[in-house]
Amino acid sequence: MAREPAARQEGEVAGGGDSSSESGSCSASCSGDSDELEPEWLNSVQKNGELFYLELSEDEGETLLQDSSSEVSAVNHVRFRENEAEVIQEGSQKERKYEPRLKKFTKIFKKKNLLPKQSGKKGTGGGNGHSSGPTSILKHQSTQKGGVTIQQRYKDVCVYVNPKRLPNAGAGEKVKLLEALVGIVHQSSWSSRKAGDQNRNNKGNNEEKLVVHGLVPGSSAIKTGQILIGDALIAVNDVDVNAENIERVLSCIPGPMQVTLTFETSVFEHEGTSQQRYKQAQSIMNNLVKLLWGEDNMDLQLAIQGMPHIVMYLTLKLDSETSKDEQEILYHYPISEASQKLKSVRGIFLTLCDMLENVTGAHIISSSLFLCGKLVQVVYCKESDKLLVIGLPAESVPLSQLRNMITDVVRTLRFMYGSLDSAFCQVENISCLDHFFNLFFQRAIQPARLNSNASPSVQQYDNCSALLLDNLPAVRWLTLPEEIKMEIDTALSDLEAVDFAELSEDYYDMRRLYIILGSCLFYKGYLIGNHLPKEDLIDIALYSRHYCLLPLAAEQRIGQLVIWREVFPHHHLEPSEASDVTVYREPEARYFLLIVGLRHFMLCVLLEAGGCTSKAIGNPGPDCIYVDQVKATILHLEGVESSIEERLESPSVPCLSCADWFLPASRDKLESFTAPPILSKLQNKIATSPTSKRTLFSDSSLRTRKPSPSRNSGGSDNGSEGPEEGGGLNPLATLDQVQKHERKESQGSRGSEGSGSLFKVNKKKQILPNPFHLGNLKKSLSEKDMELCNAIKLTSGPENTLFHYISLETMQGIFITPTHKEVQQLSGSIHPQLIKNFHRCCLSIRSIFQQTIMKEKKKNSDSGSNSESRKASSDFNLVREHGVLFECSPDNWIDQKKTPPTMAYWVVGRLFLHPKPREFYVCFHDSVTEVAVELAFKLSFGLAT
Amino acid sequence: MGEDEGSITLLCLTASSGVPLFCRSRGTPSKHQLPFSVIGSLNGVHMFGANLDVLLAATCTANTRVAWRVFHNSITLIVLSSEEGASDFTLGRLLDNAFSTMVLILGLEELVNVRNIERLKKDLRACYKLIDSFLGPLEKTGDLTQCVECVPVPHGPVLQECLEAFAGAAESRFGCLLAGGRLALATDPWWQLAPQELLLLTWLVGVLPPHTTRDYPVYLPHGSPTLVPRFWKPLLEPLQACVRPPPPGAVLPPGVLAFLLVNGEQRSSLSSVQPPGSRGEGLSPRGRARALRHFYALVTTCYFPWEGSPAPLQEPFQAGFPHRAQHCYVVSATHKAYAIHAPQHQLFLLLAPNVPTFALRPLATRALQRLTEDAAC
Repeated sequence: MAREPAARQEGEVAGGGDSSSESGSCSASCSGDSDELEPEWLNSVQKNGELFYLELSEDEGETLLQDSSSEVSAVNHVRFRENEAEVIQEGSQKERKYEPRLKKFTKIFKKKNLLPKQSGKKGTGGGNGHSSGPTSILKHQSTQKGGVTIQQRYKDVCVYVNPKRLPNAGAGEKVKLLEALVGIVHQSSWSSRKAGDQNRNNKGNNEEKLVVHGLVPGSSAIKTGQILIGDALIAVNDVDVNAENIERVLSCIPGPMQVTLTFETSVFEHEGTSQQRYKQAQSIMNNLVKLLWGEDNMDLQLAIQGMPHIVMYLTLKLDSETSKDEQEILYHYPISEASQKLKSVRGIFLTLCDMLENVTGAHIISSSLFLCGKLVQVVYCKESDKLLVIGLPAESVPLSQLRNMITDVVRTLRFMYGSLDSAFCQVENISCLDHFFNLFFQRAIQPARLNSNASPSVQQYDNCSALLLDNLPAVRWLTLPEEIKMEIDTALSDLEAVDFAELSEDYYDMRRLYIILGSCLFYKGYLIGNHLPKEDLIDIALYSRHYCLLPLAAEQRIGQLVIWREVFPHHHLEPSEASDVTVYREPEARYFLLIVGLRHFMLCVLLEAGGCTSKAIGNPGPDCIYVDQVKATILHLEGVESSIEERLESPSVPCLSCADWFLPASRDKLESFTAPPILSKLQNKIATSPTSKRTLFSDSSLRTRKPSPSRNSGGSDNGSEGPEEGGGLNPLATLDQVQKHERKESQGSRGSEGSGSLFKVNKKKQILPNPFHLGNLKKSLSEKDMELCNAIKLTSGPENTLFHYISLETMQGIFITPTHKEVQQLSGSIHPQLIKNFHRCCLSIRSIFQQTIMKEKKKNSDSGSNSESRKASSDFNLVREHGVLFECSPDNWIDQKKTPPTMAYWVVGRLFLHPKPREFYVCFHDSVTEVAVELAFKLSFGLAT
Repeated sequence: MGEDEGSITLLCLTASSGVPLFCRSRGTPSKHQLPFSVIGSLNGVHMFGANLDVLLAATCTANTRVAWRVFHNSITLIVLSSEEGASDFTLGRLLDNAFSTMVLILGLEELVNVRNIERLKKDLRACYKLIDSFLGPLEKTGDLTQCVECVPVPHGPVLQECLEAFAGAAESRFGCLLAGGRLALATDPWWQLAPQELLLLTWLVGVLPPHTTRDYPVYLPHGSPTLVPRFWKPLLEPLQACVRPPPPGAVLPPGVLAFLLVNGEQRSSLSSVQPPGSRGEGLSPRGRARALRHFYALVTTCYFPWEGSPAPLQEPFQAGFPHRAQHCYVVSATHKAYAIHAPQHQLFLLLAPNVPTFALRPLATRALQRLTEDAAC
């Protein structure tokens, strides 16, 4: 292969989604269009049918790109929505992530081979299938004028090789010298071979690049630390090599010696200074996205490298036949100095696991070790004769939380692979697992760095918060007005019916491929619609949480996300205990997970094949029709986006107070030299609120195509809005200035709103804080709205003293907590600290509750045989409620003479086991009488609508 | 009783050679004693780790906790506990107290430089009683708080005078008066001993067979681990009559099942699981003691970090609350518990389940006020 210095290849610019976005939410036209155009993700489908395709959209990038190349926009105009020009970064994942961009061309041609298999049915159905001729040309053109360039750089790495130490291969099996000698794993890819056969590869068919797909543990290649996955080996001791000749070249090495390997590495760079802005915007998201794409992110890696952390999958069965080194280790990650030590004491884990199980008759849970003076916690999970071990430093994760984490990891792996054995014991999974655990450790050790992108209020959501919220066995739920909820539910139901034209069984006279078991919809990481049983929801949530999809969707970043994989939902595959004939049995079927993300929406669909549908054969890839249909559903729902945004922007229900308001002295002090933050906040709110009102009354109702009568007759409309508004102002009512502003606002809004009569009604309601004054309205309100009304102010007394809350509905697998926006609105100096402390305290309260739940379970399970005394003796640990009173004072207290003012607040957790398990955590000011807490607990029922 | 409380086993081995020195257990029938192979592997994993610079500290299974600790590179103590309320904190304290007991009775020198293992084994028998008292189900809390437990006495000044006269006659500056295993009075120098020493001495007297006088040589683990102060155990008949202390807590509000008041400065504590007015309510005294100990361990590990001696296995994560915890309560099926962290004192209360939750705080504040007014501790 010719070595061109700094060979360049243009990135490509392509539209987001397919043309369906152009044609609104009509599903027919949507799929019609996509017949001609082939989805971008199609060439990222892996051999086993899995797909992880992520493509970012970038608003800032859009204008720049159009400036820099007008032709592009012209091209785009043909295919895509003009304002949706997007930069596609290499979006493939897993195995495919290692392929250099040069292969892009190869892939374009390869598609043809893929297509008959992928969408054969569609082809027979009379459509023109996904014939890709014109598309690929188009694509080709568009790639010429992109904004992204790749610079190829070269690096020399010296490695020591010793041909004398080669393991003996079995007869007939060819030794791969590259792997055995140097330690570089290169899989001559299926795709490029195909393309090569066709002699259409524009890069030269026989000279497949030697891309590093993996590194053999313990080999000299990995020891150098300089060879990165994704690099391409181009020369050995200045001899050009490719897939063809590498074995020959390497076989010439006579004895132990040092050889120089030359690699080509790809560095993404953007053209021109005018794109600096773009680049900056890009870097915010870099950490997370890079991690997701599996690119080596040295920055992130280095940060945790010194931390001793490890995951190992060990076997307790010793097989003396194989003479492999470290045969008891089936899998381990990462390979770093700090984790090496933990690896070296695996004997301890194995012995303890085995011995303690024999002695105590119970499975091992955890160990604590001191490693160089640092406390490291190790947790175990045993599956038959294999042992999964995860170790993390105690300073980043408390033990109780680590236990939850390993449970989650095991659950996610089982969901993805069926069992731990099938996950760890198959060679082809290794790189996926490396990626999986890379994400796991990044999330565990520095969650803030990944999540910081999700919300601008970084400081509020530090490690503790992430630790708590990311590990709750539930999904963050956003309460929405009834009508929006209905709209969402209808859209999801329509999708689940699988009744779209192309899929009707009569039409093609064959069974459909899949039925949809259920779906759930996320918006900006909040769950807003769910039609899945709890267990499935949790499975999917854990998966998306693990792959950081939820924080990803919180940004306007996802151009297109398509994930497809076979999954093993525990809930469907495990037969229920009662093996009664009369009980409904799940069909023997295979399950597939399809996640489609567009902008802030993410729709997860669980599909079943083989029940009443045709059996899935082999490893089917994603079916275009299903993907399109899911996409169409999202597009259809875009109408409610503004309403959801409205909800996110609106003040919270129940309303919250900011901790700083309760430190009167600090407020005075602040007021003396600057405008108090509270006040300015107020003004902001006042400034924005009338306008937001307007959008609600005009835009949203138009977009959702609601008939106008609902606007006027909508008692419920007003009802649900009024309290929210009132709630927002209520805490402020404690301040004098506020009342002035409130009056001003109501005047102002009356002025701004032409048809003010309706609005005046609203205003009146706000002024009355007492929810019972809504009595006459209640009739028209739905029950849930009513609960919302009651829940406006949870605490009693004249002031609102509620700072924060988390309500965990274990039964439904959801939790509710103030949105990021709501927290942001309350920013102060103490408040973020308070929230951090609240979350930390919740962690310890929750670990106590978990013990209770575990005991309760145990008690129930052996209640048949136990004695009364046993019950009584273990009862004292059954904690129902737990509260801690904290005290704080302002950080930067300048006045030395006076003692700083203090503010005391409670963090209280409450566990309900009956009628359904729920957990509830509140944080409120000390001044409230404790009876109000009970009230708060009761009212919390209103939250979970 | 023993069955549902689980069992606890303490193993002592030499760190260098792994020779078992003794094994004390409670709650396990004698035939179920750990086989040597298990003891050997428990010690083995720890030793193997130590060789690689990885110090194994604790492990837990679904029903048992194991903790390891090596003292002065010579003695390894291992404890296995299947008790309900066992935590890293309680086991850590147990190991600490057990080793201190060995020092108290044998002296540190003997333990650090082991010359004759057989002799050491024999000598260690003297510690069994005291060590066993730490294993048993306890009504006291001194082993956890590492504070000397006190009892308020009437006629304090008169007795104090007597005591000082007696100490002077015995040519010692250290003297104390014990009542019912708790400290009633002590000379000023006595208070200067380390809290753990005070505690151990008090407990030691408790486990010695009753005699009128007793001369017992002890080593002080903290003050002078290598010197041999002599320790007298005088039992003063005339005094006994007047030391019939009224049970502490006569002034407590109703509903209090048990309390523990810790004086942080003096490292002394006052406690009772049977304050008057609480009889017959809810839990048995033993149940109360367990609940109180459990609550103390929970609160101390999570919220009120001890400034003096951090628990050995303190998770760094736990200590990091940005704001200081002041009060804490727990509502469980059988009782409610409340803790107050005042500047000088810590109060832990166990209350009847029928006390309303909102009343806990005023009730506890009042109790703290009354107890500290007594100034007995």
